[in-house]
Amino acid sequence: MAREKIHVGLEIGTTKVCAVVAECRRDGEMRILGVGESPSRGVRKGEIIDFKNATQCVHDALADAEDRSDHQIKDVWLAISGGHINSLNNRSSLTLPEESTISAKEIESVEFKAKEAGIPKENVIIHSVIQRYYVDGQKGVIDPHGMMGTKLEADFHIIHGVTNRIQNAIRCVREFDIDVEDIVVNSVASAQVVLDCQQKEAGVVLIDIGGGVTDYIVYKDGAVCHSGVIALGGDHITNDLCIGLRIPIARAEKLKIEEGSAITENIPPGDKITLKNDTGFSGKDIERQMLNMIIQARLQELFIILRKRIHDVVPEHFLGAGILLTGGCSLMRGIREVAESVFSGTPVYLAHAQSVSGPMSAFENPQLSTCIGAAKYAQAVHAEMPEETIFDRLKGFLSGRA
Amino acid sequence: MITYPRWLERGIDKEPVLRLLGIGNAGVNIADRIAVRASLPLETIALNSDQQSLNASVASKKVALGPLTTHGLGAGGDPEMGLEAARESLSELRLAVDGADVIFLCSGLGGGTGSSTAPQLAELARANGSLVVAIVTTPFQFEGRRRTQQAQDALRIISQHADAIVHFENDRMAEITAARTEAEQTFAACDDILFQSVASLTRLITCSGPMPVALPDLLGVLSSGGGSFLFGNGESDGGNRAHEALEIALRSPLLDRGRLLHESKKVLVHISGPASLTFAEVATVMQEISRSTSPLALLHLGVSAAKDDSAPLIVTLIGHCGTAGKESKAQPLPTSEPIRKPAETLFVEQPTEEIPAASRQEPAPTKQTTPKVKQEDLPLEPIARGRFEKIEPTIVEGEDLDVPTFLRRKIKK
Repeated sequence: MAREKIHVGLEIGTTKVCAVVAECRRDGEMRILGVGESPSRGVRKGEIIDFKNATQCVHDALADAEDRSDHQIKDVWLAISGGHINSLNNRSSLTLPEESTISAKEIESVEFKAKEAGIPKENVIIHSVIQRYYVDGQKGVIDPHGMMGTKLEADFHIIHGVTNRIQNAIRCVREFDIDVEDIVVNSVASAQVVLDCQQKEAGVVLIDIGGGVTDYIVYKDGAVCHSGVIALGGDHITNDLCIGLRIPIARAEKLKIEEGSAITENIPPGDKITLKNDTGFSGKDIERQMLNMIIQARLQELFIILRKRIHDVVPEHFLGAGILLTGGCSLMRGIREVAESVFSGTPVYLAHAQSVSGPMSAFENPQLSTCIGAAKYAQAVHAEMPEETIFDRLKGFLSGRA
Repeated sequence: MITYPRWLERGIDKEPVLRLLGIGNAGVNIADRIAVRASLPLETIALNSDQQSLNASVASKKVALGPLTTHGLGAGGDPEMGLEAARESLSELRLAVDGADVIFLCSGLGGGTGSSTAPQLAELARANGSLVVAIVTTPFQFEGRRRTQQAQDALRIISQHADAIVHFENDRMAEITAARTEAEQTFAACDDILFQSVASLTRLITCSGPMPVALPDLLGVLSSGGGSFLFGNGESDGGNRAHEALEIALRSPLLDRGRLLHESKKVLVHISGPASLTFAEVATVMQEISRSTSPLALLHLGVSAAKDDSAPLIVTLIGHCGTAGKESKAQPLPTSEPIRKPAETLFVEQPTEEIPAASRQEPAPTKQTTPKVKQEDLPLEPIARGRFEKIEPTIVEGEDLDVPTFLRRKIKK
């Protein structure tokens, strides 16, 4: 019987802090034991701006998760995000002595060399994910271990971010003597549970639109080929509504969730939404056309930026599995239509965590994709046996432990 | 100052004679309020064709206009009748302006008496060598086009003779008070602005001090080249009095909340304060003013200090904005001259056509540039970033994405 291990994924999001306690079996099964949530304060655009408040929120979320899962949390896997996170692709090569086989040592040193990529001094590498190896120029080598060759080359996808900002998020958790076992970038975490091997092989873009930031990751031929973060999210829609409709921010948020849509067609002219009056707010009639127009403009812009960035790396017609949207903002009505109009010809789907068991409400919620993904990533890293073939790219993540 | 013989003749030690004339019902009202409000060194004369209004007035001297024409019942809003009355009382009018160094003409234009008599008084006073400051209001839009037209005609003639016009549009009355203010208070606020302008002009002329205002400077700023007169006045005796007084002055409705100051080519700043007025305070005020005026504007500074310490610090801003630029003083005497020029004033008639040298240099460039000085809404205004105001902006390809997309795309509401 496989040994069971419990992993906790934690995400300090802009809208809420959530912690997922998951039981992971060696055979790859993962079961969610409990989800703890707390509305987030002191976080903007995925980064902590008010340490004290954010710490309190982390505490509340972890306490909630402990209650629900009946498990005492000792260490967590922290999903991080923020506009400072960047990525690049780097190739390194290693010349081997004559007549030698490639061993773990050689693979390690080729990765080490790849990490010498030119990243800014204040940044640190969070992940270095193997894309492909070349042995003596032979393409598409998945695992060169034990192969013979004189020249080993490797393409790595390197994700890096500003050290201090990452440290702040970690310190937030360590305040309560809870250890951060490792960190994982949002997009990498989400990809663990939302995407499957076929999709990664066919070419897929995963866009995780959260409250403050949008994380995206592009897979092609089974490997990560691009990833990034744009500090735009649902908060921006709320802010736009607050400015455009001249209503308080709390009202704007509520209106966005309850009535907001990104479709401006087929609205009966003069269709109005009446906001009831409240303390300090004297009620207002909002034109639906205006509301939807503001939302559509913002989302359209976001997708246009994404398209530009993705197109530079992978032309759309190579994305066999299309585009998947997840994250809290993917719940916005009409978001799929807007995305399809921007990425014309590429199918767009709404997605949530797959291949996990537990309460349906947890994994079917796209807001939790990242958090569940962080736990899954933990499992993938922990399953250190080479025969583990849950994910083809496991090896990459293994070595990706910074 | 050849054109102002009275100023030349005046002895050094002699105080200038300032006279306030209230003409017509509205004018008498304004003059009354000014006379009641403060003890300015002013002689007040009420001139009206309506005997009732004269009876109620507090003016020290009252002149009934055209008692035979109007029978003391007023001109009834008819300028023809007003003109008739003025002709009848020409000698009284002449007497009213006689011997004054500065004449303030208060009148509500658009009616019968004020619209016809005020221009004539202005001309008479000017011919007499006095400095003429007209304080006029123009009717509300809702009073009809006829009245507006009458007021405009009168204003045009006055502007040909007066040295300065303080023009207050009644339509702007709504701007100076809150929407729900009682009518009485609104009118009082309006009168207050007119009062302030008279009071500070009086102060400017009479005050001596470490740095008195030179008359050519004042005239240069006031010369009514057809534009509007900017005026701001603020007083404070608090701890931060210099700053506060200036703030109040800049908020004046006649400055359009300080915006018009940018367009002014000449600005006169007068700071009057208690004996304890410091140079640092003067410097503070001037620095702040130079920030809100155009860099090309010519600033005139006057400083006066009172003897006692209890006087508040008063900042007065006077500027002239030639936005209209339509009426020129080049042809000062219109063909339709209302009254024959009195023969005894002929020797000063020539000067009436001449603008003092100091003011002459100024209007020319103003008029040339005026059509362009109209300020547009600059794109520099703070762009709405809302809740993302204080945090690191998201900038992609040079665009600040925190600003709502619909604003950047300029999608119409």
